[in-house]
Amino acid sequence: MNSTESNARAEQAEIDASAKWPVLVFFGSALVWLLLGGALQLIASIQLHTPTFLSACAWTTHGRIVPAAQNALVYGWGMNAAFAFGLWLMARLSATTLRHGGWLFVAAKFWNVGVTLGILGILGGYSTSFELLEMPRYVTLILLVAYALVGVWAVTTFSIRNTENVYASQWYLFGAAFWFPWLYAIAQIMLLKAPVRGVLQPLVNAWYVHGLYGLWFIPMALAAAYYFLPKILGKPIANYYLAPLAFWWLVGTTAFAGGSRLIGSPVPVWISTLGGAANFLLVVPVVVIAINLLGTLAGQTAALGRSITLRFILISILGFILASGLNFALSIRGFAQVVQFTLVTELRDWLILYATFSTAMFGAAYFILPRLTGREWRSSALVKAHFGSAALGVILLTVGLAYGGYVQGQMLADAKVPFGEITQALTFWFAFRSVGLLVLLIGHVAFLINFAWIACPICSNETETAQFRTPPALNLPKAHAAEGHA
Amino acid sequence: MSSTPDGNYRFEQGGASDDSIQQVHAQLQKQKPDKASGYSFLPLAVLGLMCSSVFFGSIYLAHYSIRFDPLVTNENARREKPGAVVQTAVPPAVLGKKVFTTICATCHQLTGQGVPGVYPPLAGSEWAQGSEERIIRIVLHGLNGPISVSGKDYSNAMASLGGVLKDEQIANALTYVRQEWGNKAPEVKAETVARIRAEVGNHPAPWTSAELLKIGQ
Amino acid sequence: MKNGLALFLGVFAILGLSWAGLLLSAHRQLGSLSQFKDPVEETLYPQPLSGLANQGRLVYQDLGCVSCHTQQVRHEGFGSDIERKWGQRASYARDYIRESSVLIGQSRIGPDLRNAGSTELHSYADADYFYSLLYAPQSVAPGTNMPSYAFLFETHALAGRQPSYGAIKLTGRYAPAAGYEIVPTARARALVAYLQSLKDTYDYPTERNLNAPAETAKEGGH
Repeated sequence: MNSTESNARAEQAEIDASAKWPVLVFFGSALVWLLLGGALQLIASIQLHTPTFLSACAWTTHGRIVPAAQNALVYGWGMNAAFAFGLWLMARLSATTLRHGGWLFVAAKFWNVGVTLGILGILGGYSTSFELLEMPRYVTLILLVAYALVGVWAVTTFSIRNTENVYASQWYLFGAAFWFPWLYAIAQIMLLKAPVRGVLQPLVNAWYVHGLYGLWFIPMALAAAYYFLPKILGKPIANYYLAPLAFWWLVGTTAFAGGSRLIGSPVPVWISTLGGAANFLLVVPVVVIAINLLGTLAGQTAALGRSITLRFILISILGFILASGLNFALSIRGFAQVVQFTLVTELRDWLILYATFSTAMFGAAYFILPRLTGREWRSSALVKAHFGSAALGVILLTVGLAYGGYVQGQMLADAKVPFGEITQALTFWFAFRSVGLLVLLIGHVAFLINFAWIACPICSNETETAQFRTPPALNLPKAHAAEGHA
Repeated sequence: MSSTPDGNYRFEQGGASDDSIQQVHAQLQKQKPDKASGYSFLPLAVLGLMCSSVFFGSIYLAHYSIRFDPLVTNENARREKPGAVVQTAVPPAVLGKKVFTTICATCHQLTGQGVPGVYPPLAGSEWAQGSEERIIRIVLHGLNGPISVSGKDYSNAMASLGGVLKDEQIANALTYVRQEWGNKAPEVKAETVARIRAEVGNHPAPWTSAELLKIGQ
Repeated sequence: MKNGLALFLGVFAILGLSWAGLLLSAHRQLGSLSQFKDPVEETLYPQPLSGLANQGRLVYQDLGCVSCHTQQVRHEGFGSDIERKWGQRASYARDYIRESSVLIGQSRIGPDLRNAGSTELHSYADADYFYSLLYAPQSVAPGTNMPSYAFLFETHALAGRQPSYGAIKLTGRYAPAAGYEIVPTARARALVAYLQSLKDTYDYPTERNLNAPAETAKEGGH
C-alpha cells in the first residue's frame, strides 16, 4: 500500500513539476489581461453614464473601447486561464507529465503577442466589427498557430494517457480543445477571408459566439467543477451514471443553439426557431448537471466553509444554472421581443464568461498554484477579499443588469417613450454597473498581489512552503460497495 | 477530510487521489442507480424530462419554421405553400407614387400643389380628374402655352415624357395623381396609354390646351 | 467513456453536424440571394452604396458604432420598431446582400439606424443634422449619452474671410468661439454620406407576400 501510494505521489509531483512553468506563465498573463480588460470594461461602462469621459481622442472612443475590453477579457484572460487550467488537469488526469514544455512558452508568447496586436488594432480603428472577432485579420494566423501548439499538447497528453478510464472532466476538456480552433477558423474564413453574402454573416457570427461561450467556456467550467468536487470533498459525484448523457446532450444542443441570438433578425425564421428549440432541449443536461454537482455538494456546508475553491466552484455552478435559465428565457419569443438588444442579453454572456467560467478558474487557481509552487498563499485576508468581492460583484451585476435591462426593454417596447427618456432612466443602471465592475476589479487586484507573492521567484522567497500529504483513495459509496460488483 | 490546516485558506489538502477518482467513477458509470428502496425515481424523471423536452421542442420547431423557407423572416407568416396563397400585386397607385416622386414632383411638388404662377397644381385640378384622353396626351407629348387650371392661368412648357416612361409607368403615375390629395377619379390603365400612343403616332409638337379641350369630355 | 476514439468521433460529429445543419444549409439557401428586378421600372434592388457612402461604412466600422446601434427593423407586432419610425417595413435578408460587412448589431443603447437616412420617416435627418449629431450630440438630441466625435472635425480660424461651404451650423453653447468655424474632415463627410444612404425603401413583392401574417388561427394550431 505504502509503496503504491508513494509511487502515485511521486508521479503527481512529477506532473506538477512538468506543468509548473507553462501554467504559471499562462496564468500570469491571464491575470494581467484580466486587470487590463477589466479596466477597459470599467472605462466603457463609465462612458455610458458620463459620455464625455475620454471621448476626445479617437483611441478611447466608446465604440472602440467596448470591443477592446471584450476581446481582452475573452482572448486575454479567458483563453490564457483556460490553457493554464486545461493543460494541468489534462496532465493530471492522464497521469502523464507535460513533455517538452518549452514549446508551451512559445505558444504563450505567440498568443499574447497576437492578442496585444489585436487589441491595439481595435483601439487604432482596424476593428472588423464582428462580435468577438473584432481583432484585425493579421492576428488570426498568430493565434491559430499559438493555439495549435497548446491544443496539440492537450490532445497528445490525452492520447498517451496512463489511465484506463476517461473521467468526465477529460471529456469536456477534450471537446473544448477540439471545438475552439474549428469554430474560430471557420468563422474567420466565412466572415473575413471569403465573406459570405448578406445576413449569413451575422449567422456565422452568432454560431461562433454561441459556440465560444457554450463549447469552450462552459465546458472548461464544468471540467473544473467535476474535478474539484470529488477531489476536495473526498466523495464521488452524485448520480454519476447520468454524466455522459448530460455531456453529449449539452454539447449536442448547444451546437445548434446559435440561431437563438437572431430572433427577430432578418434571417430565415427557421434558424432562430431551431436555436430556440435547441435551447428548450438544454433543460435536460442542465438539470442533470445540477443533480450531479449540487447533489454532491448537498449537506457539505462545513467543507464549503473550509475550502475557498469549493466556494468559487459553487458560484460557478450557480452561474451556469442561471445563465442556462436566461438562455432558455431569451429563446421564448414573447420575452425576447421585450429584452432583446438590452442589458439582459449582455447579462447572459457576462454570466457565462464571469459567473460561470472566471469563478471556476479562480477556484482552480487557489487549488493548483500552491501545488505547482510548493508554497502557501501569503495573505488569507486577500483571499477572503477576492472571494467576497467576486460574490458581491456577481450579485450586484446580475441584479443590476437584469432589472436595468428589463426596464430598458419595457421602455423600448413602448413607442410613445422618446429615446432620450430611455437613456435618462438607464443612467442609474449604467452607474450601478460601473460600481459592480469596480468591486470586481478590486478583488482581482487582491488576487494579483497574492499571485505575485506565490509565483514570482523573487517575491515568493518569504512565503511559507506548503506541506501536502498524500490524499486518500476515493471510496465507493457504501450501498455500491455492499452490492459488491463492478 | 480535506481542509486548510489552520482554516485560513492558505492552501488545500486533496481529499482524494486522481487515480481513485477515475477508477471509482468508471465503476459508478457502469452501475445502475441505487436500488436500496425499490424503484429509483431519478432515471424515470430524467427520462420523462427528456421525452417532454424533445416533444415540445419538436412542436415548436414544426410550428415556427414556416417550411424552412429562406425568404420568410416573420414567425407568424402563413404556413401554407406559396402556390396555395393568392399573391397580391402592389397597387398601381403605390407604383405610381414612385414615378411621381422621381419625375413629376420636381415641378408639381410632392404635395401636388404646383408652384403658383409657374406650374399648375394637380390636387383638386379638373384636368387631372377629368378625361384621361387629355392627360395621357399631355404626359406622352408635352404641353405648351396657356392653360387654365382651377380658375388660375398658367403658361409654361411641359416636356414630353413618352420617350422616357413606359406605358405602365405613365398609367400608374396618373392613377396615383387621380387618387391622391383628395382627387377622386378612376384609374388609368396601361392599355389606354398604349392605345393612345399608337393612335397619335409621332406628334410633331407639344399639345396646346385649346387642342386638348376639343378631345374627350 | 473508455474509448478515446469514440469521444473524438462524437466531438467531431457534433461540430460537423452543427456546421452543416446551420451554416451550410443556410448558405445553400441564401448564399446566392441576388438583387430583385422591379418589373415596371426594370431597376435592380437593393442598389449599391455610392463610393463615398462605402468609405463611410468603413468609418462606421472603425469607430465601432455597432456597439450601441442595430441595423435591423423587426416586423410589425414584434416590438415597436415600426411605430418608432425606424422603418416602413421589416428588414429582409435581401436588403443586406450588397454590403461587404453586415452589421446588424446586438445592442440598442442608441436607436436603430437601418433607415436613418430616410427623410420620409425622419424629415429632420439631413446632412446638417448628422454633422451636428456627430460633433455635439446633445445639440440635436438632448438627453442622449452618445459620445461626441469632435475628433472627426477641424476648427479653423476664419481670419476675416467668409465661412467655408462645408462649415457645420451650430447654435448656442455648441457654436464655436467667434471667429472660428468647424469643418468636417473627409472621414466625417464619408460617415454622413453613409448614414444618409441608409434607407430600405423598396418593398419586395416576394418577401412581402411570403411574410404576410396568417389572418386566422389554423385548426389544430397552437
